[in-house]
Amino acid sequence: MSKNKTAKTRSAAEKARSTEVITSIVTVLLFFGILTGLGLVTVFSEKEGFSETQNRKLADFPELTGKNIYSGKFTSGVEDYVSDHFAGHDGWIAAKTAAELLTGKKERNDIYILENRLVEKIPEPDMEEVQKSIDGIKKFAEDNHIAPYVMIVPTQAEIYKNELPANAPNPDQQAFINGVYAQLEGSAVPIDVYSTLSANKDSYIYYRTDHHWTTQGAFLAYIAAARKMDIMPLTEGSYDIDHASDSFKGTFYSKVLYEGIEPDSIDLWLPADRGEEPQVEIYSTFGAEPQLHEGMYFREYLEVKDKYSTFFGTNQPMVTVHTGNEGGKLLVFKDSYAHCFVPFMTEHFSEVTMVDLRYIQMSYKDIIDVSEYDKVMFLYNASTFMSDRNLKKLMY
Amino acid sequence: MVFSELSFLYFFLPIVMLLYFVSGNKLRNIIIFITGLLFYAWGEPFYVIIMLLSTAIDYTAGRLMDKYDDDNKKRKICLIVSICMNVGLLAVFKYSDFIFDSINGLLGTELTNPVILVNKALNKIYPFGLNEKRVDLPVGISFFTFQSMSYTIDLYLRNISVQKSFLNFASYVSLFPQIVAGPIVRYEQVAGELESRSVTVPKISAGISLFVKGLAKKVLLANNVGAIWSEVKAMDYGQISAATAWLGILAFTFQIYFDFSGYSDMASGLGKMLGFEFPKNFDHPYISKSVSEFWRRWHITLGSWFKSYVYIPLGGNRCGAFKTYRNLFIVWALTGLWHGASWNFVLWGLYFGVLIIIERLGFGKVLEKLPSGISMLYTFLAAVFGWVLFDTDTLSDAGQFIAAMFGAGGAAVDGYFKYTLVSNCFLLVMCILISGGIGSKIAEYAGEKSRSFKAISTTVLVTGGLLLCTAYLVDASYNPFLYFRF
Repeated sequence: MSKNKTAKTRSAAEKARSTEVITSIVTVLLFFGILTGLGLVTVFSEKEGFSETQNRKLADFPELTGKNIYSGKFTSGVEDYVSDHFAGHDGWIAAKTAAELLTGKKERNDIYILENRLVEKIPEPDMEEVQKSIDGIKKFAEDNHIAPYVMIVPTQAEIYKNELPANAPNPDQQAFINGVYAQLEGSAVPIDVYSTLSANKDSYIYYRTDHHWTTQGAFLAYIAAARKMDIMPLTEGSYDIDHASDSFKGTFYSKVLYEGIEPDSIDLWLPADRGEEPQVEIYSTFGAEPQLHEGMYFREYLEVKDKYSTFFGTNQPMVTVHTGNEGGKLLVFKDSYAHCFVPFMTEHFSEVTMVDLRYIQMSYKDIIDVSEYDKVMFLYNASTFMSDRNLKKLMY
Repeated sequence: MVFSELSFLYFFLPIVMLLYFVSGNKLRNIIIFITGLLFYAWGEPFYVIIMLLSTAIDYTAGRLMDKYDDDNKKRKICLIVSICMNVGLLAVFKYSDFIFDSINGLLGTELTNPVILVNKALNKIYPFGLNEKRVDLPVGISFFTFQSMSYTIDLYLRNISVQKSFLNFASYVSLFPQIVAGPIVRYEQVAGELESRSVTVPKISAGISLFVKGLAKKVLLANNVGAIWSEVKAMDYGQISAATAWLGILAFTFQIYFDFSGYSDMASGLGKMLGFEFPKNFDHPYISKSVSEFWRRWHITLGSWFKSYVYIPLGGNRCGAFKTYRNLFIVWALTGLWHGASWNFVLWGLYFGVLIIIERLGFGKVLEKLPSGISMLYTFLAAVFGWVLFDTDTLSDAGQFIAAMFGAGGAAVDGYFKYTLVSNCFLLVMCILISGGIGSKIAEYAGEKSRSFKAISTTVLVTGGLLLCTAYLVDASYNPFLYFRF
């Protein structure tokens, strides 16, 4: 009996030992297998210069020069290159998002992941810097003897603040916009779009996966602007709505690679009684002839990831639209929120020029003559207006 | 190079290990020496010369001590040269800015650190990219100078025999697992393994488990919890709520532990894969019941270095009360200064020195009698307040931060605290459990219950851990290296 028991324990111990031997071999093989396998795939896989999903240029392999080595640029460049081109890159990012959500995190790479949408986490604004932007606009009004229209558009983070996780840091955009508007009183004409957007928050007025507003959101702002600008706006019924795409995954998606949110649609609102396509001039460098484009919609972008660029293409220093309609001339200083808004305005002006101060290194006076324009507008979303440092260029 | 980087994990490590495993015993030290130099030069292409210099001088000092075996005077000179050389390197590359800043601050002078002039001159010869404003600290200098000194001191004290092979000695200094962030492996601890060591599958496997455990501590715990501290640290201390201040410094408390002990685990794991056994460096310090015990469990190799080479040679506690306390003060001021060249660190070291002296004077006996929960809480809080001194930039920042912990910022609780606590709840609970030793207890228990189960689950955890860490590294928005000031 006791002999039997000893034999049993011995055989159990032997079994455990052989399991240990086997698992140690398996551990070694798996560990080095994964390291060499993924390492080799990373080296020999085809390299792309640009990531569609992340919407950014990927790192190039750094140049091997003495200077680069000693400055540390070479080694940090190699690490950037390896992580950008790592085998299965997007899969790893998505896996990290899943792991973070599983552990109770509500945000990732400064994006709040809500049930039906992604929302940007915006830092508190630096009011000293914002003041410089406000002063820039005031100076502009004074220099040009014109009262520009100013439209600061709240972003998703404000309109859907009730859907954010409890106590999530989120600056009060309504108070911010009101504060800026109060300061501009007398030098500019503020256009309030907050009320109309927040009243219509159940409509599809912002993309779920991108930082822009939808064409419908821009239309609401157009109605509000028209009232201030003494324009008779077109009604919703006078547009043919072209559902150009329903597979748009925007910039927020790129930051988290989270598949749990329904992709967005791109809608083009085309006036039913439209005439010829407007002529668009794109000034990407000054001094050179502008590129010409037939129409305001760049449909080639519907085929790529960055589908919002269907509206006027990517951000450019200056874009002029010869609308073919009757009316005066409108000048818009803007961020990309203007791209789906400006088409509505083209119905009421013969020419609309958009200027993006972020891409201009000289004084605006060197590229345009403000006195030629009948109306001037500043259109920014609140997040850009909080953080952008380029409006102060209007001082010069 | 740093272990928690994809280029190390997926390229350097498999290539070096493959070369190492297929080579015979004779080639292995050459591989260690060359790869160690490459590993170091990857991060410090210029300062690698300093490491080689330190190696060459200590090797020569060792050979000379051996040659003049009967001439104590000459042996002593060799030792003094070696110590001066290593301390000199530290003085120049780690402390010169601090020394000049302190002198200029004290006397109102505007003396320029001559090292800066040398840097400028060297940059004119070739664009080495040396810093012309502040002296950049060569990575790991505090570790390799201390290791190298352990050799000459022990040789002088006749604790060890001379290393005749330059290659073997150089492999010891440039052994890549421990070169940049410890543990401080003393020569005597690996002297035998430098001559011959065995590399077996179970050892490699154990090394891999330890390495991945350390990697997970660093990448999954330290980096993530550290992100909270980096947010809080950047806030205006006059405005933050008491709860936020506590959350921030607790986050750092866990960050530094998991980062540092994770790094030590990775180093020991890599050492094992190469056939070396490194001494233990951390032993769940946050459950210590006194500050003295805390320091026997925190960065153990540094504490024992100072004990062996400073405290005991000064007379330790054998020369009466006055000298004992003097020696303790010296050791703790130096321990503080070792962590970084600023008054914050000196004060941080002295703070622990004072606490340890108070414990020696009798408070230690009281702690023993108290319920262990209370003495643990006291020790933990002592460490936490220490970290305020350690990681704020100036003494006045430290003071402001501590005031904020007691509510000087106004509110007791704010939205940031609530949000951050809720969204990091799982992470913080994991940090508490693992630093409290629950993970190790579970592993021990599993091993007693069923060795097979433990073996299989280790393999699964190691593989899963490696993959999860990879996901976190591919998207590494926050992956700092904390020891650049050491």
